[in-house]
Amino acid sequence: MFAWVRSLVSQTRVWLSPRQVDQDFAQELEVHLDLLTEESVRRGMSPEEAKRAARIRLGGPTQLKETNRELQGLPAIETFLQDTRYAFRMLRKNPGFTAVAVLTLALGIGANTAIFSVVYAVLLKPLPYTNPEQLFTAFQANAQQGTAETGCSYLNFEEWRAQNHAFSELAGIVAHQLTLTGRVEPTVVNTSVVTPEFFALVDVKPLAGRIFFPQDGKQGAPPVALVSEDLWRGRFGADPNIIGTSINLDQRPFTVIGIMPGAFRTPFFTKQEVWIPLVQDPVFSTFMPNRGLHLLPVIGRLKPGVSVAQAQAEMDAISGRLAAEFPAENNGWTVRLVPLQKEIVGDVRTALLVLLGAVGLVLLIACANIANLLLTRATSRSKEIAVRTALGAGRARIIRQLLSETAVLGLLGGAVGIALAYWGVKALSSLLPSSLPQMNPIRVDYFVLGFALLLSAIAGLAFGLVPAMFAANADIQNALREGARSGESRNRRRARSFLAVVEISLAMVLLMTAGLLLRSFARLTSVSPGFDAQHIVKADISLPQFQYSTPQQWAAFSEELLARIQSDPGLQDSAVVVPRPIADRNVNLPFDIVGNPPSSASASRTASFVSVSPDYFRVMGIPLLAGRFFNQHDISSAPRVSIISEAMARLYFPNQNPLGKQLTFGFPPNGEAMREIVGIVGNVRDVALGQNPGAMMYVPFAQAPFWGANLVVKSTLSTSSVAAAIRQEVQKMDKDIPVTDVAKMPDLIDASVAQPRFRTFLLGLFAGMALVLAATGIFGVISYSVSRRTNEIGIRVALGASRNTILSMILGETLALTFAGLAVGLPCALAASHLVGHMLFDVSANDPATLAAVAFSLAVVAALAGYIPARRAVRVDPMAALRYE
Amino acid sequence: MPGGKSETLQGPLDLMVLKTLGAMGPFDGCRIARRMEQISEEFLLVNQGTIYASLVPLIARGWISGAWGTSNNNRKAKLYSITKTGRKQLSAEVRNGERVSTVMGRVQRIAERG
Repeated sequence: MFAWVRSLVSQTRVWLSPRQVDQDFAQELEVHLDLLTEESVRRGMSPEEAKRAARIRLGGPTQLKETNRELQGLPAIETFLQDTRYAFRMLRKNPGFTAVAVLTLALGIGANTAIFSVVYAVLLKPLPYTNPEQLFTAFQANAQQGTAETGCSYLNFEEWRAQNHAFSELAGIVAHQLTLTGRVEPTVVNTSVVTPEFFALVDVKPLAGRIFFPQDGKQGAPPVALVSEDLWRGRFGADPNIIGTSINLDQRPFTVIGIMPGAFRTPFFTKQEVWIPLVQDPVFSTFMPNRGLHLLPVIGRLKPGVSVAQAQAEMDAISGRLAAEFPAENNGWTVRLVPLQKEIVGDVRTALLVLLGAVGLVLLIACANIANLLLTRATSRSKEIAVRTALGAGRARIIRQLLSETAVLGLLGGAVGIALAYWGVKALSSLLPSSLPQMNPIRVDYFVLGFALLLSAIAGLAFGLVPAMFAANADIQNALREGARSGESRNRRRARSFLAVVEISLAMVLLMTAGLLLRSFARLTSVSPGFDAQHIVKADISLPQFQYSTPQQWAAFSEELLARIQSDPGLQDSAVVVPRPIADRNVNLPFDIVGNPPSSASASRTASFVSVSPDYFRVMGIPLLAGRFFNQHDISSAPRVSIISEAMARLYFPNQNPLGKQLTFGFPPNGEAMREIVGIVGNVRDVALGQNPGAMMYVPFAQAPFWGANLVVKSTLSTSSVAAAIRQEVQKMDKDIPVTDVAKMPDLIDASVAQPRFRTFLLGLFAGMALVLAATGIFGVISYSVSRRTNEIGIRVALGASRNTILSMILGETLALTFAGLAVGLPCALAASHLVGHMLFDVSANDPATLAAVAFSLAVVAALAGYIPARRAVRVDPMAALRYE
Repeated sequence: MPGGKSETLQGPLDLMVLKTLGAMGPFDGCRIARRMEQISEEFLLVNQGTIYASLVPLIARGWISGAWGTSNNNRKAKLYSITKTGRKQLSAEVRNGERVSTVMGRVQRIAERG
């Protein structure tokens, strides 16, 4: 190694200071000249003559210096260039091999790079904030109520800020939609509602104007707002004087104080259009005085040098103090600190890692395939290598040269792969589920490029090393002696079979996981949501809360709107519902049954709460199982009633008749009222298709109104004409209220399974690639084996072997490889399917049917891949085969 | 043969330089050249300067090293000596030389037979 270092040093020196090296050599030549001159003088020559003779003996100094300079160059680099040139020549000479290898590799590297760009942007790349590792979310949890993660009440948040020493800043942040009116056509804008510290915490500078100051968060402060660059450019035509002007949000004026840069992403909510202080928000400002409403998500920045454990300990102490001080609101509530990035990424992490693993396996199979091709080729090149060895090339030298070839192959594949990845990332972006948190843009950036290059280099080494070692180890005497017959060692054949087995087992792993996901997805999309989504259109009408501030106003508005809409002949089947199943987030509430002991920590009762107009069940096709539906008599002045789901009846009223029983729950305003159960309806998957229907309790909208009318309409009319009709009615009532988020229910159900669809599709794609690659691998091994055995087959045929014997001989070889692959693949596939187990819906990770289907299809594909060369073997003409040797 | 110059010696001249330095210790370029001329007619250099063309690759491979010093006639000169790796290479080369000659002999015999 020392010699190597020294040679590198001397080479680098030439590079760094060529002039000094030249001078050194000139001096050396001078000494040499002097010595020669002295010698001649000693022999009796005159000094002048001696000098001339010496010059002749030494040679022309200019030429010598030139030669020296050339030689002093970089032999290592020169060798490398020479190897590379030669590698290119060899690859050009075998265009078929080169094309197959480069394409295989390009697919593998392209797919890996594309997936990695997503993994990098979502999981690995730090959040786009200053010192993102200091950022944490502070959630409240209540083990007694079974609440793992929720926000904090504003009053508690103020205590946190005042009492803690671990965080340099804490800020609350929520988001919802507000209606922007005034200078522009009414539109709904995504609005982040933050405490003023938020912008200082994430440390972001506005494009223009200023961020919020602490006084903007005080009660009674003038309402201010920040707008996004996109909104400013789009809606406000990049008005240079926007700062200081007034915009209307939910029909209340706000002064624009700044513009946020387009690249800024709000944690959790990514692309936002407007930011306002919490105290100005029509919804959350009303919650501020209530210490018991744990609704405000909080993020914090740790002080430098403070550990998470220290911060957690301090927050625990504060929680303890708050629970002692305000037991009614804070008993049982604790604080949970989670790194912001981890929280934002959420459960996408596993799915992405599984995809990355899968695509890595595809590359491995591709490498095995190319290694196989190389082994085959190395056999036909064994004579060339033997001659080189005989001429004095060392083993290391031969390996190095063969590796240069595979490295060139790897880099070529990498280059094409990167081009594919650019395209792949574009294709992926359109496939990505919108629920994927994109805090960083997904693209092939320098880091991803570096990954791709590294991958191609590693791949080149991986598939090149083994064949190169085999080639270099070849017995040259044998290779030369065998003359025309190029020999293949038993080891090499074994290596080739081994690679084929590996390919089959890896393909099995991928097919198994893809098969399971596919089956699970099929079940997921065919499961009944409990209602009939066909022809259902939904639309949102959100009431400006400053104008419509009382529940009476909300109820009156909805009632009038519904009456107007239902009078339209095409829209008779309309209803109001908050929240809608699947389309909206469910609202889970604790409740008590009158006459039973109250809900306790050990036996908490919760159910999804839904507020509906009387026609809801009929419109949605939710069946009545007992009792009655709501009707127009269930108004706010009438006795409170509720309808429960079958699951709720089973769970909380086992062996009893729930009809006539009374429920109480603490929401909405008239919360403590007792509600009599008047009906039982069928179950609905309200959270997600993949989640079993839970307990649900419905109340009449008139008895529990919200500040919006979320409509569902069953109509055979087109979505746009339904939207137009609704809009027309709403405009007649209040021209400043927009109708938003009009969508078909089946589309929403479709969108709700976007994540499983995405991973199923990609894994299926990768499994397909794996299958094709493995089939090519088997095809290659068997065809090569047939061509090597032409002679043997000829003899067998000449000795009377039937075609069937030959066919079964070759197919037997294929199946032996296949079954070996399946045997190795089985435990790996089962292990892998347990990794995706929690993503499966209604399918066991060891699902025997999937396993059987995978094994069977692999065997069939392998047999087909082996059949083509086997047929060629059968056609062998014994005479030609015997002459062949 | 492409790429064949790195691990093996270029030819008998390299081997002789290594042998000379291995046996007789540090020499300057002039003395190496003269020694080569003495050993055999075969190594007759067109002119003594070409010896440096052989020394440079040997240095690059780390088999010999050169450093300015004082030669035995008390002159400042650049002196070359063999390194540890150089010695290893020398003994390996001697063995390889034997191997190559047997193989080449065999090839010749096969050729004659065939």
